[in-house]
Amino acid sequence: MSTQASEIKANLSANPNQYWYLRDGYKYGLALLAVCAMYVGIRLYQGAYAMDTGLDSTMPIFDVYWRRLFYIEITLEVIFAIAVASYLWLTRDKQMQNLSTREEITRYFTFIMWGGVYGMAVYWAGSYFGEQDNAWHQAAVRDTPFTPNHIVVFYLGFPLYTILGMGLWLYARTRLPLYVDKISVPLTLAVVGPFMLLPSVGYNEWGHTFWFREELFASPVHYGFVISVWFALALEGTILQIIARMSVLLDKFALENQ
Amino acid sequence: MVSQPTTISRAAEIVRISRIFDFLLLVPILLVIIGTYHLSMILTVGDWDFWLDWKDRQWWPIVTPLMGITFPAAIQYGLWKHLRLPIGATVCTVCLLLGMAITRWFAYHLWTNYPINLVLPATLIPGALLLDFVLLTSRSFFVTAILGGMLFGAVFYPANWAIFAPFHQPVEYNSSLMTLADVSGYSYIRPGVPEYLRIIERGVLRTYDTYATPLSAFCAAVLAVPLYGLWSYIGKLFSTTRFIDKF
Repeated sequence: MSTQASEIKANLSANPNQYWYLRDGYKYGLALLAVCAMYVGIRLYQGAYAMDTGLDSTMPIFDVYWRRLFYIEITLEVIFAIAVASYLWLTRDKQMQNLSTREEITRYFTFIMWGGVYGMAVYWAGSYFGEQDNAWHQAAVRDTPFTPNHIVVFYLGFPLYTILGMGLWLYARTRLPLYVDKISVPLTLAVVGPFMLLPSVGYNEWGHTFWFREELFASPVHYGFVISVWFALALEGTILQIIARMSVLLDKFALENQ
Repeated sequence: MVSQPTTISRAAEIVRISRIFDFLLLVPILLVIIGTYHLSMILTVGDWDFWLDWKDRQWWPIVTPLMGITFPAAIQYGLWKHLRLPIGATVCTVCLLLGMAITRWFAYHLWTNYPINLVLPATLIPGALLLDFVLLTSRSFFVTAILGGMLFGAVFYPANWAIFAPFHQPVEYNSSLMTLADVSGYSYIRPGVPEYLRIIERGVLRTYDTYATPLSAFCAAVLAVPLYGLWSYIGKLFSTTRFIDKF
């Protein structure tokens, strides 16, 4: 594996065009780093201030350290969502019938890289901050739906991967011929299912108005999240669609260049 | 002047494109499995896996493998049926353990200061290895459901025994007989889970003495069989490559 990586690196520096299909590779690396850096930064912020300023939502200092973070997040998310959707739609390919095989292969690579960034956002929201929420609830009694961890997991983590999922779907719809005329059932389910975690926050928090102290994580007020997240299994069908198309494209690429 | 590529170099390039694409595919697959399987487990098994003193002989050996077989069965179906990769269950459980281990250390231990022993995650990897092994050797989902599903449920408790046995040693504390796990739980207060909410060893199970654990393991084994079948079917549904023409 390391040999292959070093070979690729050496070849890439000798002939930059040899890996033409990795056109967006550096953007991919930067995006992954940006997502990780943001979440690590937020985790450090929680570590520094949550215990001192996040236990009592009626204190003025709570507004300074946590509600302000919430408002910043929501504002940036709205801007980011509009920017992503506008960019993808306004720069859509209107000459799809003239698409070369090389270009389509490159776009599948970019599509998968976008999926990687989406996966990274799903990891941080669903795995790390999802379970960290229990750590907080066991150490502090909740007095608000906007706890220092909810502000991160519910109002940053879930919306961010929802926006990236929407972008993934739109990218396919506007740039990949396979998805232009038809709606892919698995891709739509894989994006819409995890998105449903966001509205499930309402059901969850409504439940907690009855049981604000008893924080059983395996309780029915959380089952909305569970059912929604199962739909991510539709990633299987999406991967199969992509692999089948790439197989066709590589055969075509071989024939064109004989 | 650029020389024309030969047929051999073109074939090599196509192989390389294919390999790099495969590696890139792994990133979203593994990250989404960690994020979603982990979330599903913490919201269904949750407390039995979070806390040392919840790891009892009655509920923990049943709840964990029964909810744990969900994603492995579904992913195993897709990977084996369409790509002939007999690693679906193992990949899922390794991803799960990785996600849980990271959170237990950085969230529970470093943020809210619980001792790491109190929040050690259980492992489903041995059962998943057997599940994949049965599928690989039998090449049948039916046999895997019967034999693999039973093994997945049955081996969960013994596979974790070496990790958690030391904490089940009896101690006398404030004139009461309890385990080290209980003492750890009482020592580190969790306001969200008062003692009356702790669901462990309820009823008259203690009269069953040492039979409680094997009974739970066998019960998990039996119930894991239909659940494997159900989740394989769900995996089949989600492996669809269908398109629809209109909304």
